[in-house]
Amino acid sequence: MRGIWQHRLRMLAVLALLVAAVFPLYWMLVTSLTASSDLFAAAPHMLPSLAELGIYREAFLNIPVATWLTNSAIVATGTMVLSIALGTLPAYALSRFRFRGKGLLGFGLFATQMLPEAMLVVPLYAIFGQLSLLNTLAGLILANTAFTVPVITWILKGAIDGVPIDVEEAARIDGCSQIDIVLAVVIPLIAPTLAAAGVIAFFHGWNEYVFAQTLVSSQELRTASVGLAGFVGELSTPVHSVMAVGIIYTLPAVIFYLFVQRYVVAGLTAGSVKG
Amino acid sequence: MVAGIGSRSMTKSAPPTARLEGSRWTPYIFTAPVAVYLLLFQGYPLVQELLLSFTSTSLLSPRDHVYVGLDNYNDLVGTSDFHGTILVTALYTVACVLLAIGLGLAAALLLDRPFRGRGVARAAVTIPWAAPPVAVALIFTWMFNAQYGIFNHAFRFLGLASANENWLDNPKLALPAVLLTTIWQIFPFASVVLLAALQGVSAELREAAVIDGADRLSVFKAVVWPTIQPSVALLALFITIWSLRRFDLIWLMTQGGPIGATNTLVIELYRQGFVYRELGLAAAVGMIGLTIALVVTLIYFRATARAERAKGQR
Repeated sequence: MRGIWQHRLRMLAVLALLVAAVFPLYWMLVTSLTASSDLFAAAPHMLPSLAELGIYREAFLNIPVATWLTNSAIVATGTMVLSIALGTLPAYALSRFRFRGKGLLGFGLFATQMLPEAMLVVPLYAIFGQLSLLNTLAGLILANTAFTVPVITWILKGAIDGVPIDVEEAARIDGCSQIDIVLAVVIPLIAPTLAAAGVIAFFHGWNEYVFAQTLVSSQELRTASVGLAGFVGELSTPVHSVMAVGIIYTLPAVIFYLFVQRYVVAGLTAGSVKG
Repeated sequence: MVAGIGSRSMTKSAPPTARLEGSRWTPYIFTAPVAVYLLLFQGYPLVQELLLSFTSTSLLSPRDHVYVGLDNYNDLVGTSDFHGTILVTALYTVACVLLAIGLGLAAALLLDRPFRGRGVARAAVTIPWAAPPVAVALIFTWMFNAQYGIFNHAFRFLGLASANENWLDNPKLALPAVLLTTIWQIFPFASVVLLAALQGVSAELREAAVIDGADRLSVFKAVVWPTIQPSVALLALFITIWSLRRFDLIWLMTQGGPIGATNTLVIELYRQGFVYRELGLAAAVGMIGLTIALVVTLIYFRATARAERAKGQR
């Protein structure tokens, strides 16, 4: 008897946890599907009204959402590709070799986690000016990757630690070069973690705000994070349109994440935590 | 050229005597690109900021530096505004660490035991973590709205008289509101990490303790906590560092206000640089924040080293 009640209490707690976790995004969705007349009603509407889907069409017509999302997708994809390309070989080296400066490299990778973007943005602005990278999406990709590649390297190192060294021996006997071994033997074995690392880098690029706000000035290159940030706390644009843009920006990321979360969690807990 | 390089890996799967062939330059070739990249985009700007912190430099003419020695630091350390910034930063950071880990641990313990729909529940709990911070700031600012926000709607529904509170404009409530938002966003990370750590808790030890008649709390203290303690410590380190540098969520919700109530070091840095256009002062704020982060990291590593030694002696 006591067991049943304990179980019910636990399930109640789980339910409360789930509601707390999901409610704000649900509320964003509800607000984005609320008629103007009901937005400021005395009692809030708790359910979305599908009749108001036109709000989304209007948002696309009046706000350059498509451009913003395209730019965000370019930055996120670029950050992902560059981070993986730069992070794989050093991850292998950190896992397999003992070399001078290894400790320094490890500390350097960790130290990047302490640097706020808002601090580096002033000198980066000057550097980007000299390299003609200001006001380009490529510049944003380069700036973001400086923050993602240390994390990616660390996660991949954790995964490579788990690959027995014996599997590399056969390839070595066949005369493969070290790079071949990494590309042909090690990478396929850590593919799930590689995917997880890619997702994490992608999200960083998709979410990033400070660099996108300061290193890019032209309207056509604005990312969704910057575009949406312009609406926070502002009430002159209809709230439901703003929330519609918020949903369009958030939901693809969250749904994509839910599909891959098992790999992300596995990759993250293997690399960054045990390491 | 053959050089056997013993790989000492941190996990048990790779034997410590494993030998790798390859040129002795291989590790350097493998790590050079990332080292150069980070030196260019992190190291060099960092040194620039350090130098900038000893100058008076305006955002309007960033190439004209006037060397002022430690004046920027002296100017900051003496003012009560800066003391307020340090206090807010400390409150924000400590609250983030305690609440995110506390809530994360509660969630992890709830989701550790099997029940129907556990997989879905585990996935759903991580959703806040996947939401972009700008979108989180947007929805929470709307939820905290005085007249139309859902929080005040709920309080009015519960019959609380003073339910027209303007959360983000009230110096007493702004920090709790920003904290609530931050905790919502980051607790899933703690819960995911701790859920993984809980998988390492020995079922036999737990059963043995239960058979010995230990109650839940004693089992937790004697069996569960020692296993997850390293993960908790690492989480505390990461959440501290991330809280010290978190910008977008706080800036978009309150810009550090009202009257400095949410003005953490990074917000102050941005304000000095981009509102008051004092790049030198901004850099000095950044260096002070970085020093705090470094000190916390050092404390963490010394504490873990001591814990390792203690374990070795036992």
